[in-house]
Amino acid sequence: MQIPPNYGRRVLASLTARLLFLILIVWLPAMPMTASGAPARQAEVDITILHVNDTHGHIIPHLDRSVDPERPVGGAEYLARMIEVERTANPKGTILLSAGDMFQGTPVSNLFHGKPVVEIMNYLGFDAMALGNHEFDWGQDVLQSIVSSASFPVVSANVFKSGGVCIRGVKPYVILKKKGVRIAVIGITTPETFYTTKPGNLTGLTFAAPEKVLPAIIRRVRAQGASMVIALTHDGLDADRELARNVRGIDVIVGGHSHTAIKDPVMESGTVIVQAGSNGIYLGVLKIAFDPKKKKILSYTRKDELRVVSSASGAQLDPNVAQIVDNYEAQVRGEFSKVIGTAAADLTRDATGESDLGDLVADAMRAASGSQIAFQNGGGIRADIPKGPITVEEVFTALPFDDDMVSMDLTGEQIKQLLEKSVLSENILQVSGIRVEYDLSKPAGAKVASVAVAGKPMEADATYRVVTNDFLASGGGRFNIFKKGRNVSVGPSLREGLDDYIRRNSPINVRAKNRIVFRN
Amino acid sequence: MKENIVVYVNGRKIGLYRGMKVKHALIAYDESLYRASLAGEIRVEDENGFTVGVEGSLADGARILTTPTA
Repeated sequence: MQIPPNYGRRVLASLTARLLFLILIVWLPAMPMTASGAPARQAEVDITILHVNDTHGHIIPHLDRSVDPERPVGGAEYLARMIEVERTANPKGTILLSAGDMFQGTPVSNLFHGKPVVEIMNYLGFDAMALGNHEFDWGQDVLQSIVSSASFPVVSANVFKSGGVCIRGVKPYVILKKKGVRIAVIGITTPETFYTTKPGNLTGLTFAAPEKVLPAIIRRVRAQGASMVIALTHDGLDADRELARNVRGIDVIVGGHSHTAIKDPVMESGTVIVQAGSNGIYLGVLKIAFDPKKKKILSYTRKDELRVVSSASGAQLDPNVAQIVDNYEAQVRGEFSKVIGTAAADLTRDATGESDLGDLVADAMRAASGSQIAFQNGGGIRADIPKGPITVEEVFTALPFDDDMVSMDLTGEQIKQLLEKSVLSENILQVSGIRVEYDLSKPAGAKVASVAVAGKPMEADATYRVVTNDFLASGGGRFNIFKKGRNVSVGPSLREGLDDYIRRNSPINVRAKNRIVFRN
Repeated sequence: MKENIVVYVNGRKIGLYRGMKVKHALIAYDESLYRASLAGEIRVEDENGFTVGVEGSLADGARILTTPTA
């Protein structure tokens, strides 16, 4: 038999071609594809970062006309389904993060100290959550209970107990592994927490500046093999931009606190910054093509990163999450009907003068804050409390606004100016710790005839500790003197103060007759 | 940190306590604007044009703008 010329080379070429074909058949389906269907470069890894922030207990759909004028938005059961869809699209490369302030803000969450939200977050399998300032609203014991019941890591690298240790159960960071890529998630809590929280809730804690702690932690996580670094911050967009400018090595900042709906991600000094509004209205979906060898983001979602969580007809939901929400919603009725005390007589309002209910609210504010004097705007009290058992719901109805108490130092002269303004207002200030006598025959600005604090004449130059609510403290009702306070501290909430006062002092028997006196 | 901050609402300078929120800036500027925001009649935006919630935080020097919704 004659062997054709180049037979050996042709056989080798044919074998090589078959081998290449076989390799392609086996290997091609495993190759990552781009959205267009073309094979992605081997070095790229697709990571999806899903994120929420500042949910503030909004697990039930609600109307927000600035987002959708007709249909409710938000709702944990709808959010859950959206998360599931994204995870299905990238099952091994998706992470789910929260940038904090998840629990405080709605009756269904507040009445159970955030339990419904934790339960939902556990079910959804969050990968990490940053500590927000409002996580301290119910004190450190409740925070501890939340952290211990969470099946996800709670992270904050800049909040320390004495000795420089983290709060129990809170870690400075976690390292996740997705598609072979190690991703460090470092938590940051706003140092302004001291200005937004009842001081007693922060006893023994210090809040370090993020730019002071992050460089060392970034070096540590890089040494531990992290290719990608995410700062999960609760400090607001302006602070996040500054952080990106001042700290090198952060690939992505997933932020919160300023409730900013960052529609198109911000690029600042090489760091991608995202934030998903507030109140559970949006799910942030940041898709990243990442090169783990170069430890570099190759591309990311540049437009329309936020998806509105909508309960419009036809929207799909997760029945398990719906069940959790329904269970707690059903219990709200029972919680609202709980009796916290009794009223010995009808507690009524009067925005034009002193009232029983105004006195009660002001007394509760003074007791809760430890201040000498309390001022509450009459218009902020929206319903009477009838004689008999007082329920949680009646407190909510009387004080429907989510006002916080604000305490400050004011001089006697400043207090006198407030009282002069008050008598001319349609909503006279309700008071506690003070007695004011007005001479209505005098001209505007000279109607205050006398003022006594704790039974003694008020001194114009003396400093008094005064508590009011955050509406008045920001200049509401044109009471601008409240903006001139010193040594300002915030908290607790007005409702919480009244609730506590009624529980401690029932039966409530307030008789309004001599704190605000008019003559002539 | 200073106890007081300055923010700008529709270009007007507003003094607030540190830790106060977008709603407080609106109240200080004009209470009716705050009520309009609650009713969804106006949208509040930061200087980048991003929508911000009324419970959102404010940094010292922040600038916010209000625009009517549809």
